[in-house]
Amino acid sequence: MSLARAPLIALAVLAALLLAGLPLVASGYVLALAIGMLNFTILATAWALFSGPTHYISLASAAFFGIGAYTAAMMAESVPWPLVLVAATLAGFAVALVVGLSTLRLSGVYFVIFTFGLTELIRQLVTWYEVNVAGTVGRYLFLGMPQSTIYWQLLALAVAVLVIGWLIGRSRLGLAARVIGADEVVARHSGIDTTRTKIVLFAISSAIMALAGAIMAPRWTYIDPAIAFNSMISFQVVIMALLGGAGALFGPLLGAVPLVLLFEVLQANFPNAYSILLGAVFILIVYGLPRGVIGLIEDWRPAASRSVAMLPSRAPRDPNVLTISDLKKSFGGLSAVDSVSFDVRPGEIIGLVGPNGSGKTSVLNLISGALKPDAGQIFYLGRPINGANPETIARLGVARTFQLVRVLPSMSVVENVIPGFAFRARHVTGAAAHEEALALLARVGLEHRAAVPASELTYIDQKRLELARALALEPKLLLLDEWLAGLNPTELEEGIALIQSLRFDGLSIIMVEHVMDAIHALCDRCVVMNAGRVIAHGTPRLALAEPEVVRAYLGEDDA
Amino acid sequence: MLLLDILISGLVLGGMYALISMGLTLQYGVARIMNLAYGEFLVGAAFLAFWLYSSIGISPLAGLILAVPLAFLANWAIYRWLLTPLVRRAKSRGQLEVDSILATFGLLFIVQGIALVLFGGQYYSYGYLSVPVSILGTTLALNRVIAFIFAGLIGVGLYLALTRTRTGTAIRAIAVNPTAASLVAIDVRTASAFAFALGGAMVAAGGVLVSMFLTFNASMGVVFTMKALIVVIVGGVGNVLGALVVGLALGVIETGVTRLVDPGLTLAVTYALFMIVLLVRPQGLFGSAVR
Repeated sequence: MSLARAPLIALAVLAALLLAGLPLVASGYVLALAIGMLNFTILATAWALFSGPTHYISLASAAFFGIGAYTAAMMAESVPWPLVLVAATLAGFAVALVVGLSTLRLSGVYFVIFTFGLTELIRQLVTWYEVNVAGTVGRYLFLGMPQSTIYWQLLALAVAVLVIGWLIGRSRLGLAARVIGADEVVARHSGIDTTRTKIVLFAISSAIMALAGAIMAPRWTYIDPAIAFNSMISFQVVIMALLGGAGALFGPLLGAVPLVLLFEVLQANFPNAYSILLGAVFILIVYGLPRGVIGLIEDWRPAASRSVAMLPSRAPRDPNVLTISDLKKSFGGLSAVDSVSFDVRPGEIIGLVGPNGSGKTSVLNLISGALKPDAGQIFYLGRPINGANPETIARLGVARTFQLVRVLPSMSVVENVIPGFAFRARHVTGAAAHEEALALLARVGLEHRAAVPASELTYIDQKRLELARALALEPKLLLLDEWLAGLNPTELEEGIALIQSLRFDGLSIIMVEHVMDAIHALCDRCVVMNAGRVIAHGTPRLALAEPEVVRAYLGEDDA
Repeated sequence: MLLLDILISGLVLGGMYALISMGLTLQYGVARIMNLAYGEFLVGAAFLAFWLYSSIGISPLAGLILAVPLAFLANWAIYRWLLTPLVRRAKSRGQLEVDSILATFGLLFIVQGIALVLFGGQYYSYGYLSVPVSILGTTLALNRVIAFIFAGLIGVGLYLALTRTRTGTAIRAIAVNPTAASLVAIDVRTASAFAFALGGAMVAAGGVLVSMFLTFNASMGVVFTMKALIVVIVGGVGNVLGALVVGLALGVIETGVTRLVDPGLTLAVTYALFMIVLLVRPQGLFGSAVR
């Protein structure tokens, strides 16, 4: 792989060197155009670092660019230039942290709304500060920095951004971001700390934008908040990233270069209708090229990851894998889980059965951290996990499947499995993860479909894939939510044999199931629930024969 | 006396926010379109009212009769031609959200660009019914009072239409769950288009009323979109009553900040409010918790 890359890397280095020579030969106009291209390449690439994989649309590029530019305008007179650049980067990073901490815990819409008005908000705050505290309306910036110096700084930053993007794409951070973009719930249950991933990426991306703003600042001799915080920039950055394709590293570059030229032509020839034409170009891109130019060229490729140090796992003391006592959860007035207690011993398969709406899936959600219990205790391998995050619980070795299958449709089958390896406690990455993923796929009978997108699998195969993804976490406890539902008799037999084989590997399993044959064939014990409470408990034959159980399933008359 | 002053002026301004936000909650809560160009239609209607009044002498209140149906048609057309392809193409609600955000973001610049070409960047206002009246000792311009009354009438009318008519019930059903609504024979696509168009008509009404007493310019739409979005989120998405209450409250808070602190900090206060609600109750003050 690295052998095939060598000419590419050589080519990139050569290109950078050639570009570095440009100011020696180019006219002032060409150099100004090149500065515009570099600036937007940096901004659009930085934008795509975060928004590309996660699909969280940021409309605040201008805010961070402006923070950088204005920081430079305020400090450049009194502080050496390198320090100015550091301060601008830190300012962008800090503001992004605040924005991220308040909005990125929540769904994407809040983030979009927040960023939509952020530029205007910061512009108003800076204006207010300048008028009321500093007693001015703008700043003069007499650095006399030549265009070529600005150009070289931008070129260096552009190269740095592409390298950073490349490194992130190969790292666990990049993989985490892509899984978040595909399905955030799956991400958390694969052991990914989604909030931290989003905040870190957003802050890195914003800091780069602020740095670009600071480098560009000396191009204006006078800066006021309206110049620095120009919302048109946010707009242009998004168009460029989308045109090129936000999912690939070089996508934004492919968008920025032609669009800077196009905007230049438009601005020169139709200064009045500029905004209208820009909007029209934007809409054309959204409709015509939803995945950008790069989407036309290729699908984005599976990411290899670098290996990271292993974490030690702690030894269990409690003989039970899971002990649940007096667990309670209610939704409004409805008591979904009411004083539920049971335990799971090593290697045991527990059937969690009961009529629809009896609280079985809620119990699984409480164990896996998707819901927080109102009261009660959950001990996993002797340590309390009630109230912990889904990602923490997943990393400890509790894996689950979903009643309504959730695969990551845009990613290939094998890529669906890799996150489990990459984010579990004893994580494996890179080629090793790929190989292990293929082995797991073979185990569930999907090895021949490893390269196809998960969305193309049949329903049954998607269920198999979910199981493989869960197993990739190397769980000690597996939660199966109606995994056998909807299988035909042959598939059911295979499925039962597969689950049986997992038990021989030492896994403990809790299965919510309606398929009685499977329960009788597999389960050591059954926990029967009705209306949130446990109404029977014991071997399947005894528990399912209890009068109360028959009554719950079939009604009063048949009891 | 100052407090009463702030309260009354604030409620009048808040009435406008409530009206605008009720329209947005129809577009976002029912038609599931996050419309970033929403405020541009407010500005468009304001310019229309200004033009009617200053060049032909038609009063803004009569202008409502022209602006509201026009905006309804324009928004219906936008939904039908611009957004329906996105609704069809979207595989999930999340994808529709992303696509509609991007498409309406482009639309924002087109509408704003047209307004800039026609009217330039300067501020506009016109003096219609700017005679002082006294309410509970607070002096207000008559145009503000009339705008408030009209906003109240339109808001109450919408509320009754949503709760008392078949179409209204269908719209509320879609707001809760479009899939389930289609299972009980509600034509989701037609009703969504209707809700989107109705939302556009509401914001145009808001624009005409606002133009009677506020100065405005071609690039002010974004701020109104922003405030309406915040009111809708804080009030609970799809909740008309929530939008009403939070809209009124925002008006009072903003007026308070303008009078007591600094007019330059109103947006900051709006944002602070938004952040606090997000931290404490992310589903909105009047929204129901998602299981």
